[in-house]
Amino acid sequence: MGFGIFLQAGCGNNPNPEPLRTTRNDGSPWLVRYGGLSEDPRSFDPQFMYDQMSRRVLEAVYDTLLEYHPMKTDPYEVRPALLAEMPLKEISADGKISYLCKLKTVAKYHDDPCFAGGKGRAVVAEDVHYAFQRLCDPKVESPFLSNLAEYIVGMQDAHDAAEKNDGVFDYSARLPGLEVLDAHTFRLHLTKPYPQIIYWLAMHCTTPVAREAVEYYDGEEHDGELRPDFHKFYAVGTGPYRIREYTPRQRVRLERVEGYATTTFPTDGFPPEKAEWLQQFAGAPLPLTDEVHFSIIRENIPIFILTRQGYLDGMAVNKDAFNAMLTPARELAPKYRERGMFLEKDIDVSTFWISFNMDDPLLGKNRKLRQALSCAYDGQTYSDIFYNSVAPVAEQLVPPGLFGYDRHFENPYGYDLDKAKRLLAEAGYPGGRDASGRVLELTMDCAATGSEDRQRVEFVQRGFERLGIKVKIIENTFAHLLRKEDTGDFQMADGTGWGADYPDPENFFFLLYSKNVPPAGKNISRYRSPEFDRLFEQMATMENSPERLSIVKEMNALVAEDCPQILNFHKAFYTAVQPWAPRTHNNLMLEGGVKYVTVDPVLRAQLQKEWNRKPLWPIALLGALCAGAIGYAVHWNRRLNA
Amino acid sequence: MLNFIIRRTLYAVPIVLGVIVLTFLLFRVVQTPESIATMVLGPKATRQAKDDFIRREGLDKPKAVQLGEHVKKLVTFDLGTSWKTGRGLGETFIEGAGPSLMITVPGFLAGLITAVGLALYQVFVRNSLLDRSMTVAAVALMSIPAVVYIIVLQAIGALMLNYFPASGFDWRGLGTLKFVALPIFVIVIVNLGYDARLYRAIFIEEIGQDYVRTARAKGVAPTRVLSVHVLKNGMIALITLTVAHLPALIMGSLLIENFFGIPGLGNVLVMAIQTGDLPVVMASVYLGSLLYVASLILTDIAYALADPRIRLS
Repeated sequence: MGFGIFLQAGCGNNPNPEPLRTTRNDGSPWLVRYGGLSEDPRSFDPQFMYDQMSRRVLEAVYDTLLEYHPMKTDPYEVRPALLAEMPLKEISADGKISYLCKLKTVAKYHDDPCFAGGKGRAVVAEDVHYAFQRLCDPKVESPFLSNLAEYIVGMQDAHDAAEKNDGVFDYSARLPGLEVLDAHTFRLHLTKPYPQIIYWLAMHCTTPVAREAVEYYDGEEHDGELRPDFHKFYAVGTGPYRIREYTPRQRVRLERVEGYATTTFPTDGFPPEKAEWLQQFAGAPLPLTDEVHFSIIRENIPIFILTRQGYLDGMAVNKDAFNAMLTPARELAPKYRERGMFLEKDIDVSTFWISFNMDDPLLGKNRKLRQALSCAYDGQTYSDIFYNSVAPVAEQLVPPGLFGYDRHFENPYGYDLDKAKRLLAEAGYPGGRDASGRVLELTMDCAATGSEDRQRVEFVQRGFERLGIKVKIIENTFAHLLRKEDTGDFQMADGTGWGADYPDPENFFFLLYSKNVPPAGKNISRYRSPEFDRLFEQMATMENSPERLSIVKEMNALVAEDCPQILNFHKAFYTAVQPWAPRTHNNLMLEGGVKYVTVDPVLRAQLQKEWNRKPLWPIALLGALCAGAIGYAVHWNRRLNA
Repeated sequence: MLNFIIRRTLYAVPIVLGVIVLTFLLFRVVQTPESIATMVLGPKATRQAKDDFIRREGLDKPKAVQLGEHVKKLVTFDLGTSWKTGRGLGETFIEGAGPSLMITVPGFLAGLITAVGLALYQVFVRNSLLDRSMTVAAVALMSIPAVVYIIVLQAIGALMLNYFPASGFDWRGLGTLKFVALPIFVIVIVNLGYDARLYRAIFIEEIGQDYVRTARAKGVAPTRVLSVHVLKNGMIALITLTVAHLPALIMGSLLIENFFGIPGLGNVLVMAIQTGDLPVVMASVYLGSLLYVASLILTDIAYALADPRIRLS
């Protein structure tokens, strides 16, 4: 009975803690958003952190200079955040390029003891200069330095000077690449044309930080009190939320910052199917919710259960939950539709492929052979088997949503087995045999650490072997495969892919630029085409325009014809969303974009109650079992005594 | 006794050193510095970032030097910091020990009491249909992998019945109970089949002893014979089994913590393995080996305390 009372009254199944508050200052309900992180964040230092979990948290805590427009995804666009307007490109008389940037005057740091009087001050241009200095400081260990130092004047020199000075960075020395003009204006000087710099201004590595905060939170003890380390897990942000709690392996809780006014909900770009609903938020102050709760959950099953119970506001429909939640037509199962849940479908800004090693004497010199292999690869069946048909077959290197993606382009060497056999014969291997009748043998390296990896690569192998050739699989650890790709010690490599750092075709085509052959870069196919290089160099430094678009199309056609890789698929995500938390945006360049999301707390409370009724029969059954066992023992005892 | 403890502790030193060297060989020699850097920093890491990491972590030093530094650090309990989170491992392990102990200790005790209770019950009703049914059930319980119990009991306890949270943990006084109840129940069930069978066998052996017959002949009730005489004399075998559980209690339960989101040591270790956080893995193995050796010494001492006939020499 006591156990029953405990279960019914004291032992709720809601794992979420009580919200920080129940009502806002104006008496309206306090809105809480519940989401998940698959692992712990690695740091809250904008200049250092680069993992997805940290980005999800910091996106809400620090505003960036520019930010992705939440509604505009085809193509992706950036809009000012801390900046008052888009950076103004300037070309000097001697051809040098710079960007003039003006900060918003309303942008402020969160209140914190590190500031005089504990009140957050305005964000100024000196903070941006300081952030760029931190990128060069060896102690910060910023992984972004090598990328930015190539384009911003003086960054590499500043870093090298610190290295020579036993790693001590001289913050009194000015960085020539970032000129502070007045309190809210600065100019970024580039070493060479690089229009993609605007995307770097939408990343957290370039976001301003307050020097007071970095110096105050040094991880040392002051007056008997240990201060946290800014470089690790302390943030003094500028964004719509502050971190209220970070408990490792448990949760991160964010609370809205009163008076935040730097950004507002967009007023344009609404998708037609949601435009009417979204109109109510147009121009609204952000964030829309008061508290964000990220539970750190690594396993898929608890995520599924917590979503079913209504304790998470949505979940990615992963492989484990796919059959339970979706119909064969890839729609939400009736059970979940009846609950009022929604299904959102997104294609990620990523592409996966199989690399040919163009330095290989056999594959590198025989274009027809590469084309034949490409035609023998059945990408759609691969997607059906391993991605439940969710991942679209890649027809081009550039993924959907990026400038230059051509939805009408069809890979001329997509799956066509007859064509593959014909091309193989033209390549000098009719029926998969060379002139002497010997079967053509190829090797394919892969990262195979689990049974599914092995199944994937065996699928690819079977596809090629339908041409009558032999393909030997070489299994590696992931790190070993990467090393082989770097050294060129492979013939074909499966499972190569790239996710966009920023939504520009340059960020994908650079993977085939001859100057990026390892160790200089990531052109692991070792594709060297003077024509491609010429087009790349031209396209990479251009602003988006019809002319640039036609060059991208030309590059697509050239790559398709040369076939340095077999295009495989673009990743795709299905997300099940609770009825009280419909999605306001579907921008995959944002890490959740929590400042734009909203919830209906009344509907949530009502449905949570409905979905979490506790039956009493198991307690009765347990009681009956115990009574039965005792009864049997008494009976047995009597028998023994008799 | 003191001599015995000193001697056994000295014997343990080469064992622990062997474990340290083996883990070093496995993680720092078999893998190249570049593989390690790639694993930690990810496939997109630039050459400069990887080189910086290798230099910073001393992976470019000769292996013998690395091993010397590694041994020195562990022996002085300087466990270092996590490559992934940058947090001190001492702090991480202390933080993780609480939640781990919150499920493993009650799980162990509840499991012990349940298994001993069931075994005594079976011995009481021995050779009956119920006894045989319970034995069959115990064999069935033993045959099912732990992960199946975790998934099924999570689905039943959290999803179907809505009695417990599916995942999560919080220090909320009595409120903490709701987070640990289901994991504890799983720990009990996972070990129940094996333990109940084993304890039944121990008690059945005891019940055939002369002293039991004597007690019964003197008119002692069967329940009292079982709960006092048989249980007490079965203690030595129980101690052997229970003390051997100690390292697992402290190091946490890898699968259970992971599935139920308990932020304990098992969770720390699984995350470290998945993310290639070698300092955490190596420190965990080191601490695990220390605890294992300590538990073996404790077992011997417990023997002597439980049975005055046993002398430690």
